This record gives sequence, structure tokens and C-alpha cells, in this order.
Amino acid sequence: MADFLSGYSIQSWLQSCPQGYLENTDFGHPAGEKEPEELLDNETFREDAIRTTVQLVVGERAALAASSGLINAAPDVGSKMFLATQTLDEARHVEIFTQRLLDLGVKKDELESVINTYANANLVKFAEVLLEKVDKQDFIAGVVGQNIVLEGMAFSVFEMMHATNEAANPKFAHTLTGTIADERRHVGFGENRIGSLIKENPKRKPEIQKMQQEMTYHMLATFADSFKANSDVVEQAQDQASPDIKPAVYHGVDLNRADATEMEAVLADTVLGEFKTRLGRIGLEYLSPAA
Amino acid sequence: MTDAIDPHALSEEDFHAEVHSFQFWLEAVEGYLAGTEFGFDAGQTDETFTLPELSDLITTLCNYCVAEKTALEASSGMIRFAPSPDAAIFLSTQVADEGRHLEVFVHRLKMLGIEDPWQEIDNRANRSLLQFKDRLLEFVDQQDWEAAIFVQNVLLEAMEFTVFKAHASSADPITSAILAGVVKDERRHMGFGENDLGRKLRQAPHTRTRLNQINKELNPLVLSTFSEIAKELKLNTHQGLSISSNYLATIDRLGFST
Amino acid sequence: MNDPLIDAESLVKKRKKYELTETGFNEVPRKYRKFYRRWRGTGDQLADNEVLCPVCLVVIRSARELRPGDRVYCMPCMSRLTVVEKNGMLIATVVY
Repeated sequence: MADFLSGYSIQSWLQSCPQGYLENTDFGHPAGEKEPEELLDNETFREDAIRTTVQLVVGERAALAASSGLINAAPDVGSKMFLATQTLDEARHVEIFTQRLLDLGVKKDELESVINTYANANLVKFAEVLLEKVDKQDFIAGVVGQNIVLEGMAFSVFEMMHATNEAANPKFAHTLTGTIADERRHVGFGENRIGSLIKENPKRKPEIQKMQQEMTYHMLATFADSFKANSDVVEQAQDQASPDIKPAVYHGVDLNRADATEMEAVLADTVLGEFKTRLGRIGLEYLSPAA
Repeated sequence: MTDAIDPHALSEEDFHAEVHSFQFWLEAVEGYLAGTEFGFDAGQTDETFTLPELSDLITTLCNYCVAEKTALEASSGMIRFAPSPDAAIFLSTQVADEGRHLEVFVHRLKMLGIEDPWQEIDNRANRSLLQFKDRLLEFVDQQDWEAAIFVQNVLLEAMEFTVFKAHASSADPITSAILAGVVKDERRHMGFGENDLGRKLRQAPHTRTRLNQINKELNPLVLSTFSEIAKELKLNTHQGLSISSNYLATIDRLGFST
Repeated sequence: MNDPLIDAESLVKKRKKYELTETGFNEVPRKYRKFYRRWRGTGDQLADNEVLCPVCLVVIRSARELRPGDRVYCMPCMSRLTVVEKNGMLIATVVY
């Protein structure tokens, strides 16, 4: 185990991130890149971008609280080290998405009220289920909830957003490239670290699977709310787009031409598929919230 | 490359937002960690130590590990009840710093031939430091921000800052390089604590009485730890007094009695 | 004829300006580095545009001559300081 965890050392993190893909970036993107004028000048698009970014801030704040809270619960120093780097990654994510809100025109003294206004109630509940385990210092449940469920969701959501924004908003797409790179490590740690602990503690499985089921319910409800809220925006954006716009393909679906319902479906299918695969690899059974 | 900016021209709000940010941390550590491995230039060769020198150095490093592991656990535990998002982000950078410190000291122990650093740390840990650690983690468990910040970012960090600085000046080149990098991080931690607490004490002076009690309780543990470390580092009287006086000056600036 | 305003102005010396260059200090982002340097110990003579941070013992530098009442920031330790005169010397005190 010592060898596998050495890959998650702080030295490795330093060489990968500040000296790697974060070098010469400002809040995750090359200095000088800005939100597109078409977005900032259109009140409907701007509000939609704010609403979406608020969910990212809420999610990352939960991830920050979870990863930092799990350090003291970690049974070995290697895991503590990794979680220290994850804490910093999550803080960076909070910062860059908060900065995006400022870039989208939200005033500094209005930040908290904007976040409170737009934060999705189901996403808040999703976070509460996870943080209950963290507060009890339950390392196994905490890492499954955080590094498999939350990070697994974030990974797929970021990839989808990246596909949508690559051509239309390079600044945001570049920001997301860095977060995707971070999430890879987080998800990887979750899978690699927890598998053996689940084997050693098989009696914990039902309760952890129940937690996953509850988190998945709130996640799907968040997706439903979000795509319902932005269905008009999606339609308007597609109406205004050039007919020659290049496809933005995400798991076989062209996001530049799909409607909100199709987008929700592909995201949900992708995330749930990933859950089943990852949970299966670590010896847990995926429980559908519909069950 | 960004043009120079006059930091003294910043408004207070902008200054605080800047120095507490991850972006600031990222650009700051890039200056002194780029190209290093475990805190020093990988091309450096190690000194030869006599057995007594080696034993003293190992004991000292073991106690540094106790301190850094304490700081890692405390700072990560405090994020949950940080009074603002900016404070939470700053603490996250401190968590990474403390993790790095623990990592580089453990790595140094292994370089010096210790196969099981954690066993060695258990064997050699200073009792006063362990008591200090227990008390700090109690405050963190109680989610007591003022007490935790005072004990962690003022007392513990000031202790580390003064000891590491003193040791860096007389240590072998590799240990010295490691300590120099650690000291650069400790400046931020100490400064955060002193400034956050200083502001709070101005707003709520009654907090001072409570923290003064804590200070009186923990001071003997700190000074006892200094005394042990001074022996291990073979510091002369003047150097030993200098460590204590620098530490006491920090306490004094905040208006606490010793 | 003596103009009291002109006479008063000439009594207040204009502040000297300084062209700052980096000194190898590498603990803050690059854009701020020339405003700080390492303290060389008790024999270190500070220039008119320099004060020592009492919290972290880094020398703070300004692009202009410092005077009592000036506000400076120490970025290495995130302290806000005021320049004061003490025993004929300028020192920095922390402002919380």
C-alpha cells in the first residue's frame, strides 16, 4: 500500500499541478481570457451561467468540508497526505468558480446572497448526507460518498460542461480542464484506497450502499431541476447559433443540437453508469434511488 | 509575465482577498519549491554524521513530525468551522503546507536510515509537545475558533518558526534547505493567526481573558519543548534565549502576559 | 514679499522615489517580489524606503521614502503595518 499511496504524495502533487498544468494560469485559465461578450451582454444567458456556477460553488464547498474533515479520520499517513492535496484542490475549485461569479458580474458584497438564492435545495441535501458521515469521522463512508459519488458526479458534469464550452467559451473550458485533471486523482484515490477497506469491513456495505442511494436520489433531482430551469436558455442558444456550428459531442450526443431533456438523460446515464462500474470495482452494489 | 504591482497601494479588502487566496499561495510557493524534491535540490549530497549527532538530529526531526502532524490535523479540522470562505481557503493552503512539512521530515528520517519513522516518532516524542497537541486538538473538536487559532497559528506556528529558523542556520545543508522552505510557509501561517486574532481581540476584548488563561496553561509546555530542543540542537545560551524571546515577542504583540 | 504658503511647502521635503529591483526574495508571487527582501541580521542598515516586519522579520520596501503614518503591507505574513518613529528610527507596528 505504501507504494501506491506514494503516487499521491505532496511531492507528486507539486510536480503535477503548480509545476504542471496550473503553471502560468490565473484562476485556472491563461491570464487575460474573459467570458464571451455574447454571454455577458445577454441577461438570460448570464443569469443561467450564474445559476450553473452557483451549483459548482456549492458542490465544491461541500467537497472542501468533506476532504478536510476526513483527514483526521484517515487510518494512515499516506491517506492523510492525499486528502491534504485534495483539500487544496477543492479550495482551488471553490475559488475559481467563485471568481467566475465575479467575472459574470456578481458583486463581491452580493456573493453570499446570490449563492443562497440560486443554490439548489437538492444539491444542499446531497451535501448534507455526505457531511453527516464526515462529522461522524466515518472514513469508509466518507470516502465512498466523497471520492466515488460526489467526485464521480463532478467528473462527468465537468466533462459535459467542457464539451459544451470548448468552442463557445475557451476561458471556462480551460478552467474546467484543470478541475477535470484534479478529479481524476480524487476518483482514483477513492477506488484504490477503499476497495481493501470494504473487503475488511463487509458488514458496512448495506449502510454505505444506502448512503449512495440517498445521494443519488438528490443528485438526479438536482439534474432535473437544473435542466428544467435552463431548457429555454438551451433553445434560445441553439436558435442563435450558426447552423454550421461544430458538434460538441458528449457520449454520442451533440450537445449543440440536443434539447435539455436529452442532455439531462445523457448526463444521468453517464453518471449512473460510472457509479455502477466504480462501485462494482470496490465491491459495492449500486442501489437505484427508484428501488 | 505579469507586471509588478505595488502591494502597498492595495485597499485593505483587496489585500486580504489577495493574500488569503489559493492563487497567491500557488504563485508564492512556485518561487521556492520549483525544482526541489522533498524540499531540497535532489543533486545535493548528504553530510556524514557522528553517532551522537545523528541521534540528536533524528530526535529533533521526530519532534518536528509530531508538531507537523498536529498542525495538519488541527488546520484540516478547522476548515469546517472557519468563519468565512476566505479563511477556509487560506486554511486549505495551510493543510497542504503542513502535509508537505510532515512528508519532507519523514523523508529526511528515511534518508538518515530510519526504516520505520512512525515507530521512531513514538519512541522519541517529547512529552510536553504531546500534551500541547492533545490540548490543541480538544479545541478543534470543540469547534472553538479563537482558541484553536491562538494555539495553532500563534503558539504552535511561532514556536516552529523560531526553532526552524534557528536550526536552519546551523544544520547540515540538506536539513537546512528543507527547513528554509518550511520557514517560508510558516510565515504565512503565523501571520494569518496573529492578524486574525488581533482583529478579533479588538472587536471582542473579553476574549483576551480566556485566551490569557490558555496561554498561561500552555506556556510551560512550550518553554519546556524549547529547552529540550535547544539541548538537542546544541544551542548556546544566547541562541536558546533568542528562540524563547522571539516567541515571547509574538505573544507580547497580541497583549498577552507571560 | 514672503509667501507663507511657498515657505511652508519648501519646509516639507518631497519624498524620494526609488527604483526597485528584485533581490532574490522568492516567497511571494513574482509581481510583488521586488517589494520585499531578506533581513540580513542586526547589522543590516535599512534604507529610507525600508522597514522591518516585526512579525516575520522580512524587510518591506516601498517605491518611495517612508514616513511616520504610512501604511505598508507585509505579504509574506499577511500583516498590515503602520510606520512609526521610535528613538529616531522608523519602525513598523502591526495594525490589527
